[in-house]
Amino acid sequence: MIEIPPGAYARPGTSLDFKTGTWRVERPVHDRRAAPCHAACPAGEDAQAYLAKVENGDLRGAWETIVAANPMPAITGRVCHHPCESACNRGHYDETITIHGVERFLGDEALREHWAYPVAAPGSDAPRMAVVGSGPAGLAAAYHLLREGCRVTLIEAMPVAGGTMRTAIPHYRLPPSILDQELDRILALPGIDFRPATRLGRDVSLEELQSEHDGLFLGPGRRKGREWSADFAVPGDLHTGLQLLETWVAEGTIPQQPKSVAIVGGGNTAVDLARVLRRQGVEQVHLISHQRIPAPGVPQDDAMRATYREVSQAIEEGVTIHEHRGVRRLILRGERVVGMELVHMKKLADADGRLHRVAFEGTEAVLHVEHVIPAIGQDVDPLGFEALVERGQMRVEPWWGELRKHSGIFSGGDARGDHGTVSEAVGDGRRAAIGMLRRLAGKSLEPGAPPEPIPYGELNIHYFESAPAAHEPVLPAAQRLGNEEIEGGLDGRAVRHEAHRCLSCGDCLACDNCWTLCPDQSVLKTRAVAIDGSNYVFDYDYCKGCGICAHECPTGYIRMIPD
Amino acid sequence: MNEQPLQSLDALRAQQPRFRGLESGHRACQGCGEALAARLATEAAGPDVVIANATGCLEVFTTPWPQSAWRLPWIHSVFGNVAAVAAGMEAALKQQGRATQVLAFAGDGGTFDIGFQALSGMMERGHNVLFICFDNEAYMNTGVQRSGSTPHAAMTTTSPPGAVRMGKRHMKKDILSIIAAHHIPYAATASVAYPSDLRNKVRRAMDTEGASFLQIHSPCPLGWGHDGSLTIEVARLAVQTGLFPIIEMERGELIGTLPIRDPKPVSEYLKLQNRFRHLFADAYRARKELEHLQAIANRNIERFELRGVGIEKYDTEGADTVHRGGDRWA
Amino acid sequence: MALALEGSQALARTIALCRPQVVAAYPITPQTHIVEGIAKLVADGKLDCEMVSVESEHSAASVALGAAVAGSRAYTASASQGILLMAEVLFDIAGLRIPLVMTCANRALSGPLNIWNDQQDSMAVRDAGWIQLYCATNQEAIDTTVQAFRIAERCELPVMVCVDGFTLTHTLEPLDLPSAEQVDGYLPAYRFHHGLDPADPRSLGTLVAPEHFSEVRHAHHQALLRAQTEIEKADSDWAEVVGRHCGGLLEVRGDPEARLGILTLGSVLGTLEDAMDNDPSLPRARFIKLRSYRPFPTEALREACEGLDTLIVLERALSPGAGGIVGPEVQTALIEMEVPPRVHNFAAGLGGRDLSLDLYRQLVDAVLGENQRKGFSIIDADPTLLPEADR
Repeated sequence: MIEIPPGAYARPGTSLDFKTGTWRVERPVHDRRAAPCHAACPAGEDAQAYLAKVENGDLRGAWETIVAANPMPAITGRVCHHPCESACNRGHYDETITIHGVERFLGDEALREHWAYPVAAPGSDAPRMAVVGSGPAGLAAAYHLLREGCRVTLIEAMPVAGGTMRTAIPHYRLPPSILDQELDRILALPGIDFRPATRLGRDVSLEELQSEHDGLFLGPGRRKGREWSADFAVPGDLHTGLQLLETWVAEGTIPQQPKSVAIVGGGNTAVDLARVLRRQGVEQVHLISHQRIPAPGVPQDDAMRATYREVSQAIEEGVTIHEHRGVRRLILRGERVVGMELVHMKKLADADGRLHRVAFEGTEAVLHVEHVIPAIGQDVDPLGFEALVERGQMRVEPWWGELRKHSGIFSGGDARGDHGTVSEAVGDGRRAAIGMLRRLAGKSLEPGAPPEPIPYGELNIHYFESAPAAHEPVLPAAQRLGNEEIEGGLDGRAVRHEAHRCLSCGDCLACDNCWTLCPDQSVLKTRAVAIDGSNYVFDYDYCKGCGICAHECPTGYIRMIPD
Repeated sequence: MNEQPLQSLDALRAQQPRFRGLESGHRACQGCGEALAARLATEAAGPDVVIANATGCLEVFTTPWPQSAWRLPWIHSVFGNVAAVAAGMEAALKQQGRATQVLAFAGDGGTFDIGFQALSGMMERGHNVLFICFDNEAYMNTGVQRSGSTPHAAMTTTSPPGAVRMGKRHMKKDILSIIAAHHIPYAATASVAYPSDLRNKVRRAMDTEGASFLQIHSPCPLGWGHDGSLTIEVARLAVQTGLFPIIEMERGELIGTLPIRDPKPVSEYLKLQNRFRHLFADAYRARKELEHLQAIANRNIERFELRGVGIEKYDTEGADTVHRGGDRWA
Repeated sequence: MALALEGSQALARTIALCRPQVVAAYPITPQTHIVEGIAKLVADGKLDCEMVSVESEHSAASVALGAAVAGSRAYTASASQGILLMAEVLFDIAGLRIPLVMTCANRALSGPLNIWNDQQDSMAVRDAGWIQLYCATNQEAIDTTVQAFRIAERCELPVMVCVDGFTLTHTLEPLDLPSAEQVDGYLPAYRFHHGLDPADPRSLGTLVAPEHFSEVRHAHHQALLRAQTEIEKADSDWAEVVGRHCGGLLEVRGDPEARLGILTLGSVLGTLEDAMDNDPSLPRARFIKLRSYRPFPTEALREACEGLDTLIVLERALSPGAGGIVGPEVQTALIEMEVPPRVHNFAAGLGGRDLSLDLYRQLVDAVLGENQRKGFSIIDADPTLLPEADR
């Protein structure tokens, strides 16, 4: 019973007795969605998450977020083709976030500060895992197995670890000191037994490895050059691109000094070699690709596999790129190349959607060069595991990397044949490690997929202000003579600027929009972070479900669902 | 997906790092712009204030006895007298030597129409009162009838479009100019779409000695015919198109505007609202009225020099930029 | 000490003695001299008060309302059209149980325009829920005004002091003003206890639904009925201070033994008393001066009418199409008497028509003479001035 006072006045805040939440037909919920950078990262890094930590000043936390997926950000920050940036929603607005610059900064910071990986020593009864190959795939697999408490035997045919990172990436892209520091930290982790100069099939057999271990990962890379000819003609002094590139990386020079060279191929090896040849003093370096320069907007299946950044730098350095061209025939004087006939060509889809390479008659032209180098890829060298290799590749189930025909054995990196970058190899190693542990535990491996990213259209972009991206300093083309690193790093201020530019796609920015714009005082702010990682809770006793919070959430983190 | 709070919501509610003048449990419709505007205004104004509130939605949805959503001393008297009640409170507090500030709340009917005479008198006498008009451009409480604030061509229940009419025949009353002509120290417009600007103006008005006036554009989802989730979007477009200029006047002189970075076509604003639906018919008279409203927006932009010069920190795009941690709202 | 003062000036000085903190008013004849007087006192620094000269009576009542809920003693004054322009606010003030005082300088209502005295204005708002006290003399107006603040504040009800325009407001006569000490002792400083206060933020003027509205009205009605005690006490307490009283709810004067009674409101009583005193040949009458019209003093009225055969209710307003306003109420009140008097109901003196001493004879003739009038009539109207159809 309420007594009616004179004039029927009411007491303050008594409306709380009236639960307007019963009016609701839809309720807002916090729905953490994957940012496109996260979904696109081959290594599985959540850039949005570590950019948030950078913005909050937690650099070490940011680095730990990276190394939860990728143990070598100082390397990938330099060499990765950063599909995260191609996917970044901010690209639709002004400029993408320079994510690789932030990653590199954090990687370098970790080396400088000697931050340790959060990995504990495994117990003496921990599972033992064998990893073959210490390229990025093998190292990532070993690292993640160690993180999960395993003991790891890592064998490497070469005297030092690193695989293609060491043998085929020019120093101007990846200084050896950075490579050594990152690798040394992994190889020093407790529980790892690194055996260099140990080759499968020569120093140890597959059966031995399998019998002594609870799981096996193969990351052999691709080192066996493919045979190449143009209309059955093969020049007498043919070297493959990879051979030449490895020679240059190892020795700082290559034997040949022609005036003009044509490199056939559009991958990173081709482009790296082209740039190396320019440094070597070759005046005319031509790159022949049946695809196009991978600029933004070029469909992936029509783009050279080399990264846009590398290709642009190559052009700056004087490399001539012939897009959509094929080699019809070589023009030889005896065994010596004097030129080649090129023809325009393109991949076209037929009625079934299958792509065919089509050469266009009447577009033939002669290119005079003294030398031709095929850089059309390599195959896996199957020595010691011949039974596992099919047509020069390890055929694997795409997500976990388990061999299709050999359950329990995993592979990744270049050996897979369907991709060829350091970041992809790191991702392969990480997923394979998880897969190996699941297999060990007798669990099934359901097919996986990267998370579905939140599209640009689901952000409320009005709340962001245009700001130019920070770019790392780049050595002018005229000064790129030798091994000096071409790209500098971002400084701390630029890194914070980039973190500040992050749209925080799909995650709570703690911007207060929902709290500020709720007409019903039904969003409560909590300093003690809410259990879902946001800074707010909905009070469903009063929330009427109007949807303003969801519509005005800048990051698409709030969603309305039927109540 | 649905979070469980770490502490009781009652405790959390009590610890919110802002003053709560208007509590939950009020009975405004979903997405009510006026409720939001009143919440924001009282947050900035409280707690040492007294409020007089004209008849209207705000009064009805906040105080169905025995409940009240207000946490501030508040009185509703009748429809047309809010400025006078506020003036009386101000006179009393002044005579008593108390510093408590007086707010008057009214809708557009209680400001432009029935309450106008009392408002004019209050301002002429220079009472130290902040009069806030929650402008939702029609008589919403009685079921969406046209008022002096209803924009030209808008449909209401008493300005329906038909064979010989295209909604309201007359123009929206230029209330701010009339107010400014009283030579009061501060008069401004604001919008729920720009809450920081709104709260700053409330604070500024309260720091001003004498009568001050704030007209807050407050969309009404029911009366305007838009989804409740679009309240802010609609309010923002009103500003971005130039149909609702955000301006400040001191002693009758224009002293500040929220510049429009890139004016949007009025159709972007109008098409979200049922009250302008008839303007999108495939007919000459519809196109004509659409162009008429565009011309009104253009004239506003020209008259108040609303067109920004490039990118400015406090323009229609920059003024509500969010940041991680969000302290700009606090 | 008696001073020769115009009624309005005396009222202005009396109101100042009551120390109102806010006075709001809009000029209307014949109220103007009162608020002009207050304005001058404020201007001269003799009264510490916010004098708010508003733009309408609607706002005058509203400013007073606002001032009262903000904790100040508030006052306003009006008349005629002004009272009607205030009407919705008057209802609101009473319904919200806000204590304040106003003077109604009674005047006729338009149309056609008439600026002179009758009581149609205050009668038009008799149901607003205010206490209405009618003054027979300027001295009563002075004393009633002081009492009105105390009644209002103790009952949490607004009080309208009805003073006949011109007849009282513009008449110069010797009047006793109380001293400041007398008023201060009688009327202590006041703070409205359910007003607006940031330390205890109530909401006033809520929306009350059908399930509670009848109870709110019942409480209001009961508060007015209970106010009768306070009205009587205010008068007797004031009498102890100044040695004068105003008659509480009503006052019986004239010949207490008379079988003829005449009930009046306001200043007409003096004219009738003079007429009876001047001519001993006329039948004697018992005069009932109805001071408190709201609350309506049913019990006191029955007591006052004990022993009467005939009661004339003389009004200065009417309800066209029905007749008198007060008359039927009196008749209803007396119906439960064992031997109720026969009630006759007349209006007179509308729109300032001069009330001559002959009025007494006309009234007596109309009820006791050979040509007794049946039913209500405007006794001093001359139908011969009208077309046949309107007589």
